[in-house]
Amino acid sequence: MNSSRFRYLIVAIILCLSALQSCMKWEYGTMEEFRVGQSGLFICNEGNFQYGNATLSYYDPQTKSILNECFYRANGMKLGDVAQSMVIRDGVGWIVVNNSHVVFAIDCTTFKEIGRITGLTSPRYIHFVSDEKAYITQLWDNRIFIVNPKRYQITGYIEVPDMTMESGSTEQMVQYGNYLYVNCWSYQNRILKIDTQTDSVVASLTVGIQPTSLVLDCHGKLWTITDGGFADSPYGHEAPSLYRIDPESFTVEAQFKFGFNDSPSELQTNGTKERLYWINDDIWAMDVTATSTPIRPLIESRGTKYYGLTVSPINEDVYIADAIDYSQQGMIYRYSQSGELIDSFYVGIIPGGFCWK
Amino acid sequence: MRRFGYILVLLTAMAVSATAQERTVSIREITVLGRRPMKQIGVQQTALDSVSLKENIALSMADILAFNSSIFVKNYGRATLSTVAFRGTSPSHTQVTWNGMRINNPMLGMTDFSMIPSYFIDDASLLHGTSSVNETGGGIGGAVKLSTTPAQNRGFGLQYIQGIGSFKTFDEFLRLTYGDKNWQLSTRVVYSSSPNEYKFRNHDKKENIYDSQMNIIGQYYPIEINRSGSFKDFHLLQEAYYNTGKKDRFGINAWYINSNRELAMLTVDHGSDTDFDNRQREQTFRGVLSWDHLASTWKVAARAGYIHTWMAYDYKRDLGNGIMAHMTRSRSRVNTLYAQAEAEYYIGSKWLFTANLSAHQHFAESRDKNIVLQQGDTGIIGYRKARIELSGSLSAKWRPTERFGISAVLREEMFGRDWTPIIPALFIDGVLSERGNIVAKGSVSRNFRFPTLNDLYFLPGGNPDLKKESGWTYDVGLSFAVGKSGIYSFSGSANWFESYIEDWIIWLPTAKGFFSPDNIKDVHAYGVELKADLSVALTKKWLLELNGSLSWTPSINNGEPRSAADQSVGKQLPYVPRLTSTVTGKLSWQGWSFLYKWCYYSTRFTMSSNDISLTGTLPPYFMSNISLEKNINLSWADLNLKGSVNNLFDEEYLSVLSRPMPGINFEIFIGIRPKW
Repeated sequence: MNSSRFRYLIVAIILCLSALQSCMKWEYGTMEEFRVGQSGLFICNEGNFQYGNATLSYYDPQTKSILNECFYRANGMKLGDVAQSMVIRDGVGWIVVNNSHVVFAIDCTTFKEIGRITGLTSPRYIHFVSDEKAYITQLWDNRIFIVNPKRYQITGYIEVPDMTMESGSTEQMVQYGNYLYVNCWSYQNRILKIDTQTDSVVASLTVGIQPTSLVLDCHGKLWTITDGGFADSPYGHEAPSLYRIDPESFTVEAQFKFGFNDSPSELQTNGTKERLYWINDDIWAMDVTATSTPIRPLIESRGTKYYGLTVSPINEDVYIADAIDYSQQGMIYRYSQSGELIDSFYVGIIPGGFCWK
Repeated sequence: MRRFGYILVLLTAMAVSATAQERTVSIREITVLGRRPMKQIGVQQTALDSVSLKENIALSMADILAFNSSIFVKNYGRATLSTVAFRGTSPSHTQVTWNGMRINNPMLGMTDFSMIPSYFIDDASLLHGTSSVNETGGGIGGAVKLSTTPAQNRGFGLQYIQGIGSFKTFDEFLRLTYGDKNWQLSTRVVYSSSPNEYKFRNHDKKENIYDSQMNIIGQYYPIEINRSGSFKDFHLLQEAYYNTGKKDRFGINAWYINSNRELAMLTVDHGSDTDFDNRQREQTFRGVLSWDHLASTWKVAARAGYIHTWMAYDYKRDLGNGIMAHMTRSRSRVNTLYAQAEAEYYIGSKWLFTANLSAHQHFAESRDKNIVLQQGDTGIIGYRKARIELSGSLSAKWRPTERFGISAVLREEMFGRDWTPIIPALFIDGVLSERGNIVAKGSVSRNFRFPTLNDLYFLPGGNPDLKKESGWTYDVGLSFAVGKSGIYSFSGSANWFESYIEDWIIWLPTAKGFFSPDNIKDVHAYGVELKADLSVALTKKWLLELNGSLSWTPSINNGEPRSAADQSVGKQLPYVPRLTSTVTGKLSWQGWSFLYKWCYYSTRFTMSSNDISLTGTLPPYFMSNISLEKNINLSWADLNLKGSVNNLFDEEYLSVLSRPMPGINFEIFIGIRPKW
């Protein structure tokens, strides 16, 4: 090998070796200590399905301050894939993470995990019957899971009649006396009535196609809103409706129809449960005693489809989640009852579920 | 040099062939007398040589492209979906042809390159941007042209390779060939399987340690295995070519795939792998009949083909009694009929005219979900549609002087009843300097991509009102090639490109809980592609080859903000790296060869706003693979021994969020080619 060729070799080897340095700039596990006030708003940011980038945000309405990714920052691990919903019971927040098949229990002041329930199919919502019994509804399962929150264990199942695994869908839960009411959403048209003492479905009520949400008003009446399905669906496509249901007789008392192509969702109440709120492109509100839906919205759309909605139980401020393009940090708009914009702040990807502390 | 014309095509040929009798190496300086191929005037093309394609039997085309080209390979895990994208576009903007037949899935628009074993491909080239218009429409990013060629053997031949690797991976390859004066027959079989249970430290979740009162007293990041990621892939390729010896050649290519793959659990999944079965199965048949007639000044060819694809996705749940109940049972079936005719005609040495017409008739059926209807009977969510897709082109290529060439292409496409406007493309090249063979190239084209069948008809969410995507692309570049016979060859190119894509189709959630596509984005993609190849015969026995590429591809959302809060305008598209680079180095000596492969991807944003969050980070990574190979020539057979190390530095890395990738892993290969 003459000297010039040898130089080629040396240069080539140096080129190769220069690539050998390791490279991944990845930091894990730094945990922050939080201690937030007595009242605030948790926001579940679903994240993108199958990408595991769900996050939890916390907003203090008094100081108008926002903490994003607080679950990750407090625990040094990810929340998971599709953070669906959250409820608080006795200072413990229960976050249902749908496609991670888990429900996390966190301390609502520090955001630290204190336990988790696993073994779930596709959890959507959790409802506490007592300190030692809670129900977790599921998608793609014809069972509602019964769990012991103290032991983080699944203790049983409520079989839903006339429902298959493949089109199984149980959603939001509202308790009235000893009975629990559940709306069945995906390719369903029913409200279930469950006896919480026997853990069994005792009745079901047919409403319109795909009831999306369920609330209880100050007069002890159930309200549900349907989305009407979609075009060419073999399950049917109809005009969506808002239904008032008497839970004792378990019958529909009133039906308010929307336009055929409307897509109402996210039915909510205010703190006193005297007013209903929902999304139908714009934000709409009406008293529970009203005999017709309003003509004009409470708050008009700001150009994109709203994805989530809640009303402050304290001052009735309206919080609206805007997912923007569903692949960037979403925006929360906070409005007064008169429709005045009070605050807006970025949270995580696809903010959908709210939970008041 | 002038007597050789302006074109010097330096093909670096590694002389260490399978026969170790050849104990010396050489760099052959191969010249094409007169001119460069007229068909390649102004074309930006990356050709993958057979050395790259046949590196080892365990590699898919996704692996080959990741280490040997500048295009971005998005990999969802080992032996899982792998898509490729040119120049900051999406996978569905890359058109893929196999022996002339387009093999993009008409329902999804993209091609899974993990399902294409590199040992089934004899010739592969990437047509960047505008250059794809020469081949097909719809390649807004570019096109990948894959083909098989006759083995050119005489008599019977057999080759068998067995690979055994980490994670209980077994790869088998068998090829039988027969050739005579007229016939060339070949049968290739590949079978790969693995439980694919590689270990990794899961930094996305922690395991809890509880006391008896169920208080957490400790947490740790678990060392997990890749759960539910097993695969079994079988491929069979049968080819037969008949050359009449009178300018006609007939061919048949038939490729059967049977794949059974689990879909690995996400790193953030807290479920048990024994509770769920998440599996995708595919059976695909692709067949092409071809006829080529070559005369001195003209050529005609005709092809006919058929594709059948059956795909099943099952997501099951153990009910606790050992019975696995379906949560999702999705089936899709596509039958495609294909026909193509093409002609070329030379007038003297200065003009070439070509014409091409192809038709793909798809019959697609999607059965995505079984439901119970309101009346109590059962129904299926899905669709059944047929679509004819025509694509035709005319081109004129003119080289008035030896230093200059110009080519114009007009293409027209029809999908269903929707026609594109005339798609024009113009290509120019010219020799700037004979010394160094410096050639300048430039091209410009319009292009369109029609919505896929799922875009239009998927239930729920399909949007029949979608517009086709459209784009303009410009390319300019310089290339050079120098060399000295038997000593070295050195070539390289630098290209600038710019694309404007309008009406980019994106699937977004709706208020009703499902996704639906819409023409949302306008994108401006631009950048630089650099390539270099160096081969040096260090001595008569030592050969060093280096290949490198580098791409800088800003791909910017140029659309209107969706609202005042939208932070995505002017930002890099998510999951598109700005910078990718590859280097391959090979050192050969007397039947031994050492291969080092390296690739680099810069940070990929996971949000359209380019915010880097704690939970949405995909840091840059380097990947290094090495292999050592020895060819042994015996009187009765040629033997080949090879050892490979992948992810040499045991890098923890992700290509897609929540999809674990394997650390360092090994595989050995033993190959035999008997001499009859």
